[in-house]
Amino acid sequence: MARLSVLPFLALLIVWEAVARSGLFTAFVLPSASTVLLRIWADGATGELFIHLGVTLYRALVGFLIAAALGILLGLIITRVALVRWFFEPIISIGFPMPKIVFLPIVTLWLGFDDTLKITMVVVDAAFPVVTATIAGVAGVEKELTWSARSLGANERQMVREVLFPAALPQIMTGLQVALPVALIVCVVAEMLTGGKGLGGAMLGASRVADSPGIFAGIVEIAVAGYVLVQGMSAIRSKVLAWHPEALPPATV
Amino acid sequence: MIEVEGLSHTYRTPDGRAVSALDNISLTVAEREFVALLGPSGCGKSTLLYLLGGFLPIERGVIRFNSTPITGPGPDRGIVFQHFALFPWKTVRGNVLYGLEKMGLPRADREARAREFIEMVGLSAFADSYPSQLSGGMKQRAAIARTLAVDPGTLLMDEPFGALDAQTRTQMQTELLRIWRRSPKAVVFVTHDVQEAVYLAERIIVMSARPGRIKAIVDAKFDREDPQLVRTQAFRDRVDEVWALVHDNTAEAR
Repeated sequence: MARLSVLPFLALLIVWEAVARSGLFTAFVLPSASTVLLRIWADGATGELFIHLGVTLYRALVGFLIAAALGILLGLIITRVALVRWFFEPIISIGFPMPKIVFLPIVTLWLGFDDTLKITMVVVDAAFPVVTATIAGVAGVEKELTWSARSLGANERQMVREVLFPAALPQIMTGLQVALPVALIVCVVAEMLTGGKGLGGAMLGASRVADSPGIFAGIVEIAVAGYVLVQGMSAIRSKVLAWHPEALPPATV
Repeated sequence: MIEVEGLSHTYRTPDGRAVSALDNISLTVAEREFVALLGPSGCGKSTLLYLLGGFLPIERGVIRFNSTPITGPGPDRGIVFQHFALFPWKTVRGNVLYGLEKMGLPRADREARAREFIEMVGLSAFADSYPSQLSGGMKQRAAIARTLAVDPGTLLMDEPFGALDAQTRTQMQTELLRIWRRSPKAVVFVTHDVQEAVYLAERIIVMSARPGRIKAIVDAKFDREDPQLVRTQAFRDRVDEVWALVHDNTAEAR
């Protein structure tokens, strides 16, 4: 991923500050950038920021990890077992494009408002891109690769774990890179709809008391958190796929 | 010893039509014999090789390896593919070690054996390189080392040099013969290159297309250690004869 250039963000902050101070809008409609940054600083100083951030990241990441494990496992099984494929393929076709957040009201009745609810919502949403990426990745593995493994003495189980999985890994990683921001989005939306702790809940709280700097602070915090997560995932990708031509220097022979 | 009896194979096209790929094939390959399967594309020679490998289900007929009917792939029949099929996430060493791990050899033995076979194909300096860092010829050397390391009694080769440039190809043919002389095993070598078949194989099974049938079996016993072999009249005559067979000019060949 290309290195992020800082200057456009500085420019944005300056324009924001200038517009806010120009008197075009009231401080309630558009608080100045400096007000919002000071607000984030103050929330950081009291520790409030880190509680909300920690809660949101915990929910999003735990949900993401469960979705990743389930998604890869289910994806692999779907490619190997015809009955499982028969059952899940139509469900995935309908479920993938569907906004899974529609389940929130009923899942709230089942699970209450706490971490379990948000993590469940994250898992349901983030698992889809992982499952579909795994299926597509395995489908693209050339048969010669699996035949080679079988002919070298691998049994079916070893072949799936030692050949299909690593061969599909570039696409699985892409699926995970899609799933991670989805996890954060779903977590924040669920928090916004149900309140309580977390960045989304804090924004809902700020909105209820007409605290517009608090809302803007939340927007900036979520943007930064999302950026850091995506960058981390990209670093993990280059580490995990160190063997892949995309990560290697070009051939010299 | 490989025995094929009455083998037929039909495959289905994507639109559901049944196409006969192999029709009533019977042949034997002796221990340590180098046999070429030669024919135009679509003659079913690769299908026959995949059936020998146990990668495709046998529909009609039987294939026996040392009197036992085959039921699936196994390390007794090593295979080398045209496009190498190396595990791209493993280094050359990792690729060669894979089959040795499956054999359950102790670690030290595996390492020693991998080193030996990597050296045999001349890749010692590239043992820690990933396949994507290697040239085509080097990839195929690595694949051959991986297959030979588990010491299969039979070597199945599916146009292994077909993706290489002419110069590398000639070099690899010579090296394959050198390796085969060092540890002789039955080789079934699929190719559509007449010169290659006559140069490598002791016996050439010429196939015809649609349905795949054995058209002729030609002996090609030469002294392959002779560096001038390809320039001898006997060799050239045999190439012409086989070429005529492949191109359906049996009358001329007689």
